Amino acid sequence: MRLSVMALLFAASVASAQDAEPSRTLTPGKGAELATARCVICHDAQHITRTKLSRGEWEFNIKNMIERGAPIAPNEIAPILEYLSTYYNRDVAAPAPTAAATGGDPVANLLNANACTACHQVDKRVVGPSFKEVAAKYAGDNTAVGKLVTKIRQGGSGVWGASPMPPNAAVADADLQQLVGWILQQK
Amino acid sequence: MAAAGAAGASVMAHNGYAQEAVKLPVEPAGTVPNSAVIAEKFSGMQVHSERPLTASVPAESHHFSVTPNDRMFVRNNLLTPDIDASKHRLTVKGSVHKEVSFSVEELRKNFPVVRTQAMLECAGSGRSGFVPRPSGTPWSASGGMGCPVWNGVRLRDVLRAAGLQNNAAYVAGQGGDFGVIATAAPVIRSIPMDKAMEPHTMLVFGMNDGPLPKIHGAPLRLLTPGWAGSASTKWLHTLTVLDAPFKGTFMDSSYRIPRDAVKPGDRMPPDALVTEGWPVKSMITYPAPNAVFQVRRLVLIEGRAWVGEGAISRVQISLDEGVSWQNAQLNNAGDKFAWRTFSVELRPEKPGFVTVLARASDDRGNTQPIVSKWNPLGYFWNGVHRVGFSVEA
Ligand code: HEC
Ligand code: HEC
Repeated sequence: MRLSVMALLFAASVASAQDAEPSRTLTPGKGAELATARCVICHDAQHITRTKLSRGEWEFNIKNMIERGAPIAPNEIAPILEYLSTYYNRDVAAPAPTAAATGGDPVANLLNANACTACHQVDKRVVGPSFKEVAAKYAGDNTAVGKLVTKIRQGGSGVWGASPMPPNAAVADADLQQLVGWILQQK
Repeated sequence: MAAAGAAGASVMAHNGYAQEAVKLPVEPAGTVPNSAVIAEKFSGMQVHSERPLTASVPAESHHFSVTPNDRMFVRNNLLTPDIDASKHRLTVKGSVHKEVSFSVEELRKNFPVVRTQAMLECAGSGRSGFVPRPSGTPWSASGGMGCPVWNGVRLRDVLRAAGLQNNAAYVAGQGGDFGVIATAAPVIRSIPMDKAMEPHTMLVFGMNDGPLPKIHGAPLRLLTPGWAGSASTKWLHTLTVLDAPFKGTFMDSSYRIPRDAVKPGDRMPPDALVTEGWPVKSMITYPAPNAVFQVRRLVLIEGRAWVGEGAISRVQISLDEGVSWQNAQLNNAGDKFAWRTFSVELRPEKPGFVTVLARASDDRGNTQPIVSKWNPLGYFWNGVHRVGFSVEA
């Protein structure tokens, strides 16, 4: 497993592989709605989600965007800067988005919080299989939930190809059950 | 999540649960949809962002001596305007003796029509080489450039027709592209007069001896060859002759590069320079990364080398990750601002994995660095290009 990871990294550096697709929505959290309303107008959210900057660079970026015509009131600069340098900071790891912060879908929050979305999408193969492919493969298999919960927790390779999935040991059992239940429903 | 600004349709492909796009305001009328642009492009073109549309092909898809239209990179700051060529006019004003205005047809009739092959490269091309990654389009090492043939008239002939006043020192171009909201700042860039009067600086209405595609600036664009692409205003409708550089966000806050190295994460120093000519650069166009060859068979390594101002004097390759270098064969130089082809014949003696590095030098004593100096907006990446391939028994 270790060897294949290294081989993967090396191939990537030579082939200058494409990065995984950045998220099309801003990470849920305090200030996300304001940042979306002010920043996702002239360009897509990926301009931000593909980027991690220092706080100073975000400050310079917001000043630039206001010069370029972003409709941002003076009292909105501080909360937007706070949001961007909390969730898209190169120097400080982003906190997990909370369900309370999104008020949104608990499965989406789990997928984002555990970075599953870095490698998986619903209907497109990225680093790992798409969730639709997974659902199709295990359709009718009533041992699938148990197998997949263990597989996600322990990681591993060989079912879908040579690339490994790293272990996800920190994810609570109940959350894994919920995730797998949802994944298997993707058609 | 709140929809941005005005309610509008999602313009992006809906490709999954966690990836549902935030709804962007609808594009106003008078724009070319992304799908129409992509339909005319090479299938291997990689899209880096959808609004505004940015796209490029990898180095191995640049294995042409002249870049075909479908491989030319796409980079807008605002939307792609759909302009009626028959109504379009170019106005030249500012520090001139008389303000003049021409349709594209009148330019073609009144001035000598010229053609030249020339490099055009976005200032951020290759940005993904910088560590840590600065903000902006994550072009790959070879992204964001091309070297097609341009057809048009010389800018200097048109400026002379207007008559330059004594204080004329800069020319600013403005194009007909607009943003999705009215407050979006117009993209205006100025160039110094000596570059404006250089005979290869052109008002372009044709590409590769055919019509200029809309995405590349039809009906009319400026070509400031060898310089950061933003100096080659697309959809050009106004040239303003000035006594000083144009003042505006796209001159003063973007397209700037620090004089010296900057600590990654630091802000742009106030005395940063305007990006002008590209530093010396090269890429390997053959083989493609991870190609497979037979042992003892001839492999013809090929690539392209260019520099914004000056000329390529030498290209070298290394097969040992930069420990030692050997000269590549440089093909004849073509037009002044065109890239040059280089090649090296290799006959691998044993099976294994081979990496090739290429680095070019110019006639002003500059050589490509292994890694370019970090700068806050990630411009002018010209670190050496590296490609690996396998040799099998
Ligand atoms: C009035 C239109 C507009 C709004 C609103 C706007 N931007 Fe931009 N932004 C631009 C333009 C134009 C560019 C340059 C073209 C590009 O990169 O697509 C840009 C580019 C960027 C980039 C790439 C790096 C760069 O400097 O070019 C980032 C990051 C960015 N914007 C972040 C933001 C953030 C954060 C906000 C909200 C605070 C925002 N934008 C709001 C117009 C806008
Ligand atoms: C670093 C990339 C990465 C991350 C992060 C990741 N996965 Fe995976 N995942 C993979 C790869 C690669 C495979 C294919 C492994 C194989 O072939 O057995 C995979 C396989 C799977 C499968 C199918 C397993 C099988 O045996 O058929 C499921 C279900 C899955 N992942 C769910 C998740 C969930 C849920 C998360 C977040 C908790 C997650 N993955 C995080 C890369 C990743």
